[in-house]
Amino acid sequence: MNGPIKKILVYVDGTEGSITAAQYGVVLSRTLRAELSALYVVNTRALDDLLKARIFIKAEEQEYKQDLEADANRYLNHVRSLARKKGLAIEAVSVSGSVHQEIKSYVQDHDIDLLIIGELSHVRSRRDEFYNEAERAMRSVSCSVLIVKDEDRVWELYDALH
Amino acid sequence: MALVDLIRPEVIKVPLVSATKPNLIRELVEVLRDAGRISDMEQVYDALMKRESLGSTGLEQGIAVPHAKTTAVNALTVALGISPKGIDFQAIDGNPSKLFFLLLAPPDQSGPHIEALADIARITKSQVFCRTLASATTPGEVVELFSED
Repeated sequence: MNGPIKKILVYVDGTEGSITAAQYGVVLSRTLRAELSALYVVNTRALDDLLKARIFIKAEEQEYKQDLEADANRYLNHVRSLARKKGLAIEAVSVSGSVHQEIKSYVQDHDIDLLIIGELSHVRSRRDEFYNEAERAMRSVSCSVLIVKDEDRVWELYDALH
Repeated sequence: MALVDLIRPEVIKVPLVSATKPNLIRELVEVLRDAGRISDMEQVYDALMKRESLGSTGLEQGIAVPHAKTTAVNALTVALGISPKGIDFQAIDGNPSKLFFLLLAPPDQSGPHIEALADIARITKSQVFCRTLASATTPGEVVELFSED
């Protein structure tokens, strides 16, 4: 671990793009011999906002929170499996709060050198409201950020690891 | 996938012609059926009406956000409709609803669903944007309002 990148964090939100990002994280971690972590954020900030906006009723907020916690377990287990298949140790963590703020805090608290995220929106928007959480994180973290594209190429790289 | 990626001309209807909540929801569901976005129209309609029975998703400023989880979609799905005259959607402020964001998500994809709903919650805070959107007369105008290109 003497290279320029010692600690890698992958943001996992359950989208296909984030799973591809996790595969690329495994490839990079093995190649660079860097530590790898994966983070899922249960977006309780959004749940609070939806309740305040009255888009959600209370029972719905609780139901969706449980759904998100189940998603966190499922997707982090999948990422653990992706790493394990390639003989790699991974720290897979679930936290709750505002997504981009939690990512920013994790990067800072764990001295992350590189944040890896899945592909961003293809549509550019005039409005800040349409930056998704990964995009907000990309803009706010202190470390370098890698946006993973080309799912097929990433799969080939991952598959070729022994 | 961000909300802005999902707002395409084929899932937008301007103007909506229905005058009641059940008919309007059905009209938007038909838009998704015609766009090939849903596998079972009745299942989607029932899920949306069941959610409305728990409390109206009609908000302030003429906006309504009918939403539901359903296995009739395999990814986050959005329809957007504009009713220039507005209809009684039992909104919390009692005013007619004009802008309708209909969201559907598979039961195992709550994360993107919540993020998209939160996006809508944020944009509905802008009275100027909502007024401009409500005055759009074509799907192309709506898409243009959301995107930069």
